[in-house]
Amino acid sequence: MARHWLVTAFLQATVYGLLQGGLLALVAVGFSLVWGVMNVVNLAHGSFVILGAYIGWELNVHAGLDPLLGMFVAAAALFVIGYALQRWLINLVVNAPIFITLLLTFGLSLLFVQGMNIVFSANYRSIQTDYASTSLTFGEVRVPLGRLLAFGIAVLITVALVAVVNRTRTGLAIIATGMDRGAARLMGIRARHVYALTFGLSAALAAIAGTMVGTIGTFNPAAAGGFTLLSFVIAVLGGLGNMYGALLGGLLIGLVEAWAGLYLSGTWMNAMAFLVLVVVLAVRPSGLVGRAYYAARVEV
Amino acid sequence: MRSTAAPVLAALTAAALITAGCGSKGSSGGETDSGTLTIGAAMSLTGSLAREGQLTKEGYQLCQQKVNAAGGVDVDGKKLKLDIKFQDDTSQPDVAAQLVDQFNDDGVKLILSSYGSANTQSQAAVIERNGQVMADSAGADDAIFQQGYQRTFAVLSPATEYAASIIKAIDELATPKPKSFAFMSADDGFSKTGAKGGMDEAKKLGYQVIPAQYFAEGSTDVSSAITHVKSDRPDVVIGTVHLEEGVAIVKQSHELGLQPMAFGETVAPPTPDFTKTLGRLANGVLGSSQWTETTAGEDKYFGNAKDYAADIEKEFGHPADYHDAEASAACLAMVMAVEDAGSTDPDAVRDSLAALDTESFFGTIKFNDKGQNVYKPMSVIQVQDGKVVTVWPTDAAEGSFMWPATGS
Repeated sequence: MARHWLVTAFLQATVYGLLQGGLLALVAVGFSLVWGVMNVVNLAHGSFVILGAYIGWELNVHAGLDPLLGMFVAAAALFVIGYALQRWLINLVVNAPIFITLLLTFGLSLLFVQGMNIVFSANYRSIQTDYASTSLTFGEVRVPLGRLLAFGIAVLITVALVAVVNRTRTGLAIIATGMDRGAARLMGIRARHVYALTFGLSAALAAIAGTMVGTIGTFNPAAAGGFTLLSFVIAVLGGLGNMYGALLGGLLIGLVEAWAGLYLSGTWMNAMAFLVLVVVLAVRPSGLVGRAYYAARVEV
Repeated sequence: MRSTAAPVLAALTAAALITAGCGSKGSSGGETDSGTLTIGAAMSLTGSLAREGQLTKEGYQLCQQKVNAAGGVDVDGKKLKLDIKFQDDTSQPDVAAQLVDQFNDDGVKLILSSYGSANTQSQAAVIERNGQVMADSAGADDAIFQQGYQRTFAVLSPATEYAASIIKAIDELATPKPKSFAFMSADDGFSKTGAKGGMDEAKKLGYQVIPAQYFAEGSTDVSSAITHVKSDRPDVVIGTVHLEEGVAIVKQSHELGLQPMAFGETVAPPTPDFTKTLGRLANGVLGSSQWTETTAGEDKYFGNAKDYAADIEKEFGHPADYHDAEASAACLAMVMAVEDAGSTDPDAVRDSLAALDTESFFGTIKFNDKGQNVYKPMSVIQVQDGKVVTVWPTDAAEGSFMWPATGS
């Protein structure tokens, strides 16, 4: 019995941790992209996640739209908001020291969170579906369907993002601008537009993540800060400059939290996640797979 | 990488400090003029407790309206208009305490508490030092009252009662009787005290108790606690939690195939958000509540519990929540203490609070020598068909007890 339980519990925690990690990766991937390309640490990222969740929720409640479809609408809306913010606001200070962009995005996050408090109230919400809390059973290990879907979407989107960035002209322009804005501009790339595009893309990814978060769990405006912090940890852990960094970082954090919860105590989950961050940074300062290419960027 | 991470962390710290600072800006009106009784209230209007903070504010506001509509606070024959000054503590205990200091600087000596045990605990220390007096609406952790404080009075039942009441209700009403109780708890003081109270009660009544699994306050992933508990096949799972963790317990237990006869949770189930976010999964979940619409008792300002519920619905457009009620009750206790004292002097008001013994829409308000209201029973509710129904104590029950509670 005891041995049997140990195996089942380990498998269950591992499956759950991986699924949770996939979702965390989706939350963080846009954050990591913006940081890697523009050297902007977007402290409003968590509020984009929550705003995406609210859009998904509104569409579900008022238009009966399934979150799997609603997430595309949320993504489109957040893309527009993200593009506009970068194009006409953050671009104004993108050359300034990182403190200035930090302050600006911090201010934006206060604005968004308080705005959502006013518009949607601080009540907790959840997007209701029939399938989100049903589970597939393998032996005694259960795989929740909603989480499995969220995980699948996270992986698909990360792979798609890598394909877009590495194989399309726009994607290559994003990478080129990230590597050396001066040179990119000399090649005829409109850096302002590319930056706005990157930021819009990041916000759209956050919105998709948010809709998934809302489908499998609960959210309210106050949760935004937690998602920003989590994105920060995952981006640093995975490493910047490589789209797979966030995916790996997310999965690692998910697993570590699940195992810490099982073998230590639920109260140790966060502490262990940060311990792993410290250890990884001590051994590999640029993260698991990061290249930190912005460090070599030429400022103009 | 290294070169960026350090300034980023520094800036995050700076940002946190700025947020903390925001709450303490702006000054309250200042001097109490002769026709007004000014009371200070630091509220969690933004941050993680914004939802509960808003409900608490409503409770205080309704109290102000009701008292002023009745002509004001009667102080030695003179009617004073009640004026509650609200400030936002951003859900941070240190800010909540600073604001109490700030009220003191402005000469405001009578204080209504912020939301939650952590905020209230930090405020209570400052109240004591400054010689102010506080009516506590939502700080239930027994730890607040073990410091020897003389100036903080809580109208609500202590934290140890939250889970214990659910266990008493199950013991009294359930057939077949469960054999074992498993506990899951958030790691904040209030929840841990609640878990301990529940475990003691279950042991006392002769049940098998599976020791508590703890997780961080505000967790939305409690899967590891569930995996642990599942192997013990408990008959009842008791969560001493807030809303997010409470929702996660029910949702993830369903995902992971943990199916006890019942879930019982403190704090979360009576709130409308619980049934809204969980949908049909909320059905059958038991919860404890400081107050329900069937609570016995009445007072001159609010009438009885039914009248109170109607007033909240009319003013704020939603059904009354016990967070509203406990806030109004704290305000009521303060007003009555001022009237009994015939003075606004903080020492006189303190003594009259200590001696207060009255019935109200909230039930009995009376304090023991530590400042806790141990004279009022808690109610146990059950979610039935999406509605919150009082099932215990039986003399206040609105509906019958559904058992086994889950699996419908």
